[in-house]
Amino acid sequence: MQEIINWSDEFLAGAMVIIQLFFVSLLMVIVWGLLGATAKLSNSRIARGIANGFTVLCRGIPEFLLLLIVYFGSAVTLTNIARSWDPEIRFMDIPPFWAGAFAISLVIGAYATETFRGAFLGIDKGLVEAAKALGLTRFQVFWRLRLPMMWRLALPGFGNHLLSLLKDTALVSVIGVQGILFTAQQATTVNHKPFTMYLTVAFIFLALSTVIVVTMKCIEKYAYRHLEAAR
Amino acid sequence: MPSKPPIISLKSVHKYFGTYHALRNINLDVEEGQKIVVCGPSGSGKSTMIRCVNGLEQHDEGDITVNGHMMTTDEKTGNLIRQEVGMVFQSFNLFPHMKVIENLMMAQRMVRKKTKAEARDTGMKLLERVGISAQADKFPGQLSGGQQQRVAIARALCMNPKVMLFDEPTSALDPEMISEVLEVMTELAREGMTMICVTHEMGFARSVADRIVFMDEGEIVEAGEPETFFANPEHNRTRKFLDQIISH
Amino acid sequence: MTFDGSLIIDSLPRLMDGLWITLRLYVLALTCGTTLAIALVLMRISSKKYLSWPVMGYIYFFRGTPILVQLFIIYYGLPQLEFIRTGPLWTFFREPFFCAWFALTLNVAAYTAEIFRGGILGVNSGLVEASKALGMTYTQTFRKVTAPIAFKLSLPAYSNEMISVLKATALASTVTIFDVTGVARKIVAETFAPYEIFLSAAIIYLVLAWVIQNGVRHLERRISRYAN
Ligand SMILES: Nc1ncnc2c1ncn2[C@@H]1O[C@H](COP(=O)(O)OP(=O)(O)OP(=O)(O)O)[C@@H](O)[C@H]1O
Ligand SMILES: [Mg+2]
Repeated sequence: MQEIINWSDEFLAGAMVIIQLFFVSLLMVIVWGLLGATAKLSNSRIARGIANGFTVLCRGIPEFLLLLIVYFGSAVTLTNIARSWDPEIRFMDIPPFWAGAFAISLVIGAYATETFRGAFLGIDKGLVEAAKALGLTRFQVFWRLRLPMMWRLALPGFGNHLLSLLKDTALVSVIGVQGILFTAQQATTVNHKPFTMYLTVAFIFLALSTVIVVTMKCIEKYAYRHLEAAR
Repeated sequence: MPSKPPIISLKSVHKYFGTYHALRNINLDVEEGQKIVVCGPSGSGKSTMIRCVNGLEQHDEGDITVNGHMMTTDEKTGNLIRQEVGMVFQSFNLFPHMKVIENLMMAQRMVRKKTKAEARDTGMKLLERVGISAQADKFPGQLSGGQQQRVAIARALCMNPKVMLFDEPTSALDPEMISEVLEVMTELAREGMTMICVTHEMGFARSVADRIVFMDEGEIVEAGEPETFFANPEHNRTRKFLDQIISH
Repeated sequence: MTFDGSLIIDSLPRLMDGLWITLRLYVLALTCGTTLAIALVLMRISSKKYLSWPVMGYIYFFRGTPILVQLFIIYYGLPQLEFIRTGPLWTFFREPFFCAWFALTLNVAAYTAEIFRGGILGVNSGLVEASKALGMTYTQTFRKVTAPIAFKLSLPAYSNEMISVLKATALASTVTIFDVTGVARKIVAETFAPYEIFLSAAIIYLVLAWVIQNGVRHLERRISRYAN
């Protein structure tokens, strides 16, 4: 117990890092998901092809490997470019935080693409036609009708993606982002209590997962509040 | 005249779903070979009553005796009774992952411990009897509703039951398929099977039933022979119900 | 930037060695995890609380924490415990491969038990009643009716889980195992050519995922002969 208390500040800081990482990637996930779903449902064959390639690759390659590709790939490219100016430079990289956020968002974004696509397809066509008949523009129909309707249908699937996203933030310790797993690794080298330290990490993740699950329950309840009275 | 004890007997049976009183003081005796038709408005407890007879629902008060066995909460007794009582459901409930003939063979093999050949033999005979032996090797999903319900009847008969329970066997069927199922049931009645049928097919009731039982709000309101039941029902509730059904 | 094709050719034999380890880890974790899942789901759906609650807690823990953390607890963490380090279990837990297999198996079991439970809950209760009405016991009904139908209902989710497990095997490289990812990381550290090597590794995983998905689709088609 004492070991955990000794390191509580560092764990707190680590937790803040993964929470930031979570929200930053979450924003990217939503962007990827919406772009991907729109592309998959578009009439353009090229857009569909790119979106399909994106989902096949990002869902088929291990998250961990993708993270290594993004981080070390970008680092090599950056270093090469930098060397063409100054041959003295030995290594340059994208900040690991951003490389990590980007890599994780690609994976979850690919899953979100499928969920959003299914949700867009699940929207009642009659409603869209009714809106068009009322004279709403295409943009208005998308923004005021399709998007909110899609959200509602996507919520359960999206909740699962959020859990995966949270758990994937553990990976970035491998490229040196100072999240809680990194904290535990540091602590272990000092106090030689790896079991206690890593178990602490597990329980922090468990607590954060629980927060997500509870939040999603509340959001779902809110999203379906119009059905409450009918039940 | 000393008569045999009734094969089914319900005495002061009550059943609750939580606080909801679904069966109120049900008394019913069925002699061997008798055919009982149960009718009544939706939610009146018809299904609940016949499901209590084979223990798919457990009653809370009173005694239910079937073929000399008293129904208890014990799984074994319930199982013993169900082996002698066949049941046909509104929604067929055929096992979708088994062929028709396998549907008929399963319980014979598992419960009656018959050999494969015996079970298949009995199964084929019964399929012939309900007129669909040609479909033996199809899956239930490939049959029409009427055919599926006839398979379900044959499946129950495979166990050689002493009593058959029917819970609205024709109400999920398209109109043109109702008669083929009723024919099978009529035939079965003529052969002397003891039956309790929940149904709103009043033509069937008139021609087959020894007694018609009218239920409402969990009670047996009245019971009588078809002629008197249809001609001059005692209770207002029965009259109203019959008017509704016949004007339908 | 240059893309060095000969480097890929040179690395292939080592990557294939890694593939062998990845495959062994994968098949062992998947089969053992699925077997364990069957036991767990039987406990989970039991009406006896002393059977279902521990399983609920187990599933909650394993689904709520990252596999990487679980792996670190098992490989780096367990040696902290006296009875592990000095007991007979130490023969196993000092082996990285065993630890990776163990972590993955526990994980597969948790996820798959939940998938199977979903399948069981999806079985039409009318079928169970029909079987009961024929005089079949609870166990007979479960074996002949509930289980086969639940299995079929679980297949789509289970095939996703199969792919997830394949991807999770890559984490084994963090505990000094030279699976495909482990080998790739080692070569990259030597040559600093991440594109060539990591992309070759990625292709290996993509091919494996493709094979698995097609295998399952084939199985699905075989057992969906019957309608609905
Ligand atoms: N498992 C259950 N839990 C709670 N209430 C139930 C349950 N099963 C039946 N009920 C209630 O008990 C009452 C009687 O139901 P039952 O199914 O026996 O009616 P029924 O006469 O068969 O009606 P129907 O013609 O619609 O089949 C209904 O009000 C029903 O809502
Ligand atoms: Mg009913």
